[in-house]
Amino acid sequence: MRRFLTVEDVHREGAQKKEILVDVGTLVTPQALEAAEAAGISIRTGEGKWTEPEPDRGPDAAGSRSHLPPLPEPEEGSALESAAIVTAVGRNRSGVLGQITTAIAEAGGNVHDVSQKVVEGFFHIILTVQLSEGASFEDFKTALECLSCPDDFAVRVMHERVFRFMHRI
Amino acid sequence: MSFSEREILETVRMVELETLDIRTTTLGINLLDCADPDLESACEKVYAKILHHAKDLVRVADSIGGDYGVPIVNKRIAVTPIAWVGAASGAEDLTPLARALDAAADAVGVDFIGGFSAYVDKGFTRADEALFASIPRALAETEHVCASISLASTRSGINMDAVGRFVDVVLDAAEQTADRGGLACAKLVCFCNAVPDNPFVAGAHIAASEPETVLNVGVSGPGVVRSALERLGPDADLLACAETIKRTAFKVARMGELVGRETARRLGTGFGIVDLSLAPTPAIGDSVGDVLEAIGVDRAGGWGSTAALALLTDAVKKGGAMASSSVGGLSGAFIPVSEDQGMIDAVRAGALSLAKLEAMTSVCSVGLDMVAVPGDTPRHVIFGIIADEMAIGMMNHKTTAVRILPVPGKSVGETVEWGGLLGTAIIQDPGAFGCLTLHGRGGRIPAPMQGYRN
Repeated sequence: MRRFLTVEDVHREGAQKKEILVDVGTLVTPQALEAAEAAGISIRTGEGKWTEPEPDRGPDAAGSRSHLPPLPEPEEGSALESAAIVTAVGRNRSGVLGQITTAIAEAGGNVHDVSQKVVEGFFHIILTVQLSEGASFEDFKTALECLSCPDDFAVRVMHERVFRFMHRI
Repeated sequence: MSFSEREILETVRMVELETLDIRTTTLGINLLDCADPDLESACEKVYAKILHHAKDLVRVADSIGGDYGVPIVNKRIAVTPIAWVGAASGAEDLTPLARALDAAADAVGVDFIGGFSAYVDKGFTRADEALFASIPRALAETEHVCASISLASTRSGINMDAVGRFVDVVLDAAEQTADRGGLACAKLVCFCNAVPDNPFVAGAHIAASEPETVLNVGVSGPGVVRSALERLGPDADLLACAETIKRTAFKVARMGELVGRETARRLGTGFGIVDLSLAPTPAIGDSVGDVLEAIGVDRAGGWGSTAALALLTDAVKKGGAMASSSVGGLSGAFIPVSEDQGMIDAVRAGALSLAKLEAMTSVCSVGLDMVAVPGDTPRHVIFGIIADEMAIGMMNHKTTAVRILPVPGKSVGETVEWGGLLGTAIIQDPGAFGCLTLHGRGGRIPAPMQGYRN
């Protein structure tokens, strides 16, 4: 397979016939594309006009991922597969837990487990949250972390996998 | 699977308070197919191929950082040694290839691209020679490009001619960036037993044994290890210290494994290695020097530092090896002087001399890193410093490196500020005695018996 098409190739091959045939996987350099356009030369593959192919990561890219040894993943389809751990710390006042759980529900989360402690006027809350199907973790995280307020309390959202990888062999 | 409160708070604390992060996700890209008899075409191919493969790297890494709530600080690229890519062109000046790398790095938004490199353990090709001649200008004129040279290995011995020529390159690079404190030398490193999958700059490159593209990860964590040791207290014995470091390193390495696998999956490339190195930054608390002090030396560089560093490096490897089946790169503890606040303080206090630093490199994972000396240090003294460091690596079957900055116009005790990750350095005293005759001899130090293992 032809791997590259450069400006020099465009000038050499496109001079007469105004059309250059490349392979589907050929990488046409940005400069060659520009040169071809300027000279009115079309770059085609057997399937039509050339467009940038998906990157070819090499013959063993997929294999090197699928042959990785297993890590402590939950069973397929387990309820915790896309869980988030929400932690909040701050000055204790009434209604904090309610405010957080309401935000979780609005962001499409279902509280699976909760623990709350108050020490000397400060609280910390840990919630394990199951995200509803199709909910984006990033959106959920943004929605919750937006609740943080410097003088009141701070919320942090991390993926459950981080804890599983760190604390389970 | 649920977690105890202690486990959850430990992880949150590591990220929030102890500066745990993923130091770098480095995409390795093989550029051998970009070789071309015409240098301009080779540059075009290099630029196009890097863009093609790395255009999504920053976006993917940032999205993983967001998804897992773990910051990924740097995104970088490592490429095939440019001496190999440029060889077919026959060009005597390979600076255009450095410019192509720099432009590609700019276009994809990475902070550094490593691989303006050559292997000359046993001798030079014409292309290696061209690369050497191009390095000073290439590094002075580009922002993101890093150069690394393999000068020695346990298998091949030390190419002392190459060490001499490397010193000339270092001095020239310093001179060409004199107005910036010799900054080019911060992007230039030489190795004994260079590793082919190093994700950390300045030595990042992808050697011949690597696949088409590969995703390697370097973790961080000096702050986490130091905090764990401080919680253990001064009365715990050394086995307990080692055990604590192992457990902590396991957790840090697992974060690296998670992020590495996920980045590779989303990019559709193979996952290479996790480099377990404890990589410090100039940020307060993110210091390997502080870890040594937490183990129990008065100041980093004081007596006992080599022993403490040996314990640290080994425990980090043991914990990390349990966490990942893909350990690679340099994997140990970095002690880059200017990039580590604890080490800077130790130099300022007079605790850390260059000689002690050299001793410590026999048990750390790299070598004399980010060391500043006066700009007028004699050639043969710098030659001797590098030769000694190469010898430590060669005899001990380990990777050693030298990243030395002879800062023009500065003398011992003065400060030079490079900013950012490169930090601040105090010019150290290399002493008055070098090796003029050894420098003049030339030739090679033959491979040691350790190299004949077959």
